[in-house]
Amino acid sequence: MTDPHAALDQLDDAGFRALVRGWLRANYPPELRNPPHRLHLAAARPWYDRLAAQGWLAPGWPREHGGMGLSAARQMIMIEEFERHGCARLPDHGIVMVGPLLIQHGSEAQRARFLPKILSGDHIWCQGYSEPNAGSDLASLRTEAVLEGAHWVVNGQKTWTTLATDANWIFLLARTDKTARKQDGISFLLVPMDSPGISVRPIVNLELQDEFCEVFFDNVRVPRENLVGAVNRGWSMAKALLGFERIFLGSPRQSAYALARLRRLAEHVGVAEEAGFIERHTRLRLDLADHQALYEVFAARLRRGEVLGAEVSMLKLHQSELFQRITEAMLEIAGEAAGLLEPMAGNRDLHPSGLFIQARPTSIYGGSNEIQRNILARDVLRLPG
Amino acid sequence: MTTPIPLDDEAIRLLRDSAAAIAPPGGDFRRIRALRYHLPGIDPAVWRQIGELGWLGLRVAEAAGGAGLGVQALCALARELGAGLVPEPILAAAVIAPLLPPATLAAVLDGTRIILPAWQERANSLDAASASVLHDGRLSAHKVFVPMAACAHGFLVSTRDGLALLAADAEGVSLTTEPTQDGGHFGTLRATKALSTPVAGALGPALEEATLATAAYLLGVMDRVFALTLDYLRTREQFGRKIGSFQALQHRAADLHLQIELTRASIDAAAATLDAGASATVAACAVSRAKARAAEAALLVTRQAIQLHGGIAYTDEYDAGLFLRKAMVLANLHGSAALHRARYARLAPPEDADDD
Ligand SMILES: Cc1cc2nc3c(=O)[nH]c(=O)nc-3n(C[C@H](O)[C@H](O)[C@H](O)COP(=O)(O)OP(=O)(O)OC[C@H]3O[C@@H](n4cnc5c(N)ncnc54)[C@H](O)[C@@H]3O)c2cc1C
Repeated sequence: MTDPHAALDQLDDAGFRALVRGWLRANYPPELRNPPHRLHLAAARPWYDRLAAQGWLAPGWPREHGGMGLSAARQMIMIEEFERHGCARLPDHGIVMVGPLLIQHGSEAQRARFLPKILSGDHIWCQGYSEPNAGSDLASLRTEAVLEGAHWVVNGQKTWTTLATDANWIFLLARTDKTARKQDGISFLLVPMDSPGISVRPIVNLELQDEFCEVFFDNVRVPRENLVGAVNRGWSMAKALLGFERIFLGSPRQSAYALARLRRLAEHVGVAEEAGFIERHTRLRLDLADHQALYEVFAARLRRGEVLGAEVSMLKLHQSELFQRITEAMLEIAGEAAGLLEPMAGNRDLHPSGLFIQARPTSIYGGSNEIQRNILARDVLRLPG
Repeated sequence: MTTPIPLDDEAIRLLRDSAAAIAPPGGDFRRIRALRYHLPGIDPAVWRQIGELGWLGLRVAEAAGGAGLGVQALCALARELGAGLVPEPILAAAVIAPLLPPATLAAVLDGTRIILPAWQERANSLDAASASVLHDGRLSAHKVFVPMAACAHGFLVSTRDGLALLAADAEGVSLTTEPTQDGGHFGTLRATKALSTPVAGALGPALEEATLATAAYLLGVMDRVFALTLDYLRTREQFGRKIGSFQALQHRAADLHLQIELTRASIDAAAATLDAGASATVAACAVSRAKARAAEAALLVTRQAIQLHGGIAYTDEYDAGLFLRKAMVLANLHGSAALHRARYARLAPPEDADDD
């Protein structure tokens, strides 16, 4: 089999960056640049399809599974170029979470069945972890799966499930043993969203978008072979994925995007040359530069094939709070426009209030920042519990 | 000028009780939600009730048919309105009522006519100085960021030739609106040689009062959202415990409480300063101090209210977000924290004067 990405290996980093940039200019749907909200699938579809056709949907997956097999450094270059171009985030749970999960823990049959569907865009995934009473304390989740013959029968409720209305599959943590220690009775299930007994209620979020949902399970029958890894071993797999998510959420991209907007906003409102603004902007700029350096430290470890430990919490913690501080600075200099519902008149690209609201949940999802600090204190600094 | 009636506990209690009619103390926000993102954004029946309660004449002398109350009473009312997220522009209407001519005043006080100030001509400014022109009874003006302008029957407009009273439906007047995060709107008012009546007096002192009242409204926003958050910390359980038992969250709550009390002290001091008839400079410094504190504290407290709730607060269904949106709109209205700090730095006496 020929390797469609072999040509990429011949390029140096600068050449690779130029290739990505040129391709985006030629192929990215212009109407989707810098969307003000996370796009629903229908809107993002042309972009998904173009990446799929190019074979660029999964930069981090190994090539034998249809990924680009890029090093962490090259993945960073792609992320940076996508950000610079203002590319929309895809409904990417399949690419970012299910793919890596199956590559590591799935059966041969599961990989053969699911990976190609993710790469073709036929399967769109959502993440069913959180429940009304199991957020930070995820291990206390109560949605249960009981084996009845060839099926797991699932009952319970998930919540805050991002883009569940767009997804046709959900990956689920469910309790399969109520007698064990709570972390030891959880399994990982792959469930089609059109299964009888599943209902979805969209929830309007603070951006006034219906981005996340409640998902209800009423005697949903899931084929036995849709369980990933071993029964009652879902927790450790989920934790590994959360670590992965934290690197992703620790990427400097949101802060870099916001900082560029802060600068433009300052020019727009005429404070860019004021000493107070320059001091504040420079502080944020240096915070971003140092964040990038710290991110690179972790990326280098990944490149060397090391497994990242609990310290990776630092990245998510600092990124989300930096992003938030930048948007707070935007709000303060925006004057009355800080209260506008829509982007600023005369400059659709400037929407300080929108970005400020978007920054709020970054310190809640993916493990709240309080939980990240607990992890650092307990698992890295080894402080007494 | 008549001295305002001093505000005792009894007067505050009366205000609070009457506020409960408009802003239910239990925090029922159905009325507020129903009015959001629609024009005119207020309820005319409620406005008439507001008139009956006497709030619109709160700053108008008793002899002129008002209540003759002071800035401290105005701030006490503003706090109640903020706690109830009341969208009706009561405070803006009340601070300019004393300037209105007797013929207009009666209909304003009983709630049949809504007159709002229109003073601002540039973004991010405290400056009532104006390029608008009043000539031969004709007004040409361009005013921006007039909150809730669509509900007004008329405007008290600042011009370089003094104040002018303008009917919203006069020929040559146009109003456009932009929706705001809290569900209200900002109006942009344009008048081209519109028929208009000159009004004696200056807007400056009324704008200081409006600025301080905005700070007091933000204090009410903070008080209520903080109470909501404390309730949640006391009831929500994770890891088999109330989340309010986690020391990290206890410390956060203690810090927020401190900021809220600093804001209250700053507003009370400023209101007393204004009621004591301080000079314009001393009054401006006190008001700037209070607004700078309130703007920053309100954004901090509302942001942290979201954080301390977790995912549920990122829904529109849950009330915490209503408070965040209100703080976003009011933080910079009548001047951002930075603008007020700059004004304070300009006007305040040098620091060593504090030593004596
Ligand atoms: C925009 C958004 C999208 C999301 N998308 C998804 C999704 O697709 N799929 C999914 O499964 N979930 C999703 N989530 C859910 C998210 O993972 C949870 O909101 C998060 O884990 C926090 O849980 P919670 O909301 O129940 O808050 P809680 O756990 O109830 O926390 C409330 C507060 O208590 C604090 N707290 C809790 N425990 C401690 C402690 N031990 N020490 C100190 N402080 C503590 C928290 O930090 C927080 O401030 C999403 C959330 C948001 C906001």
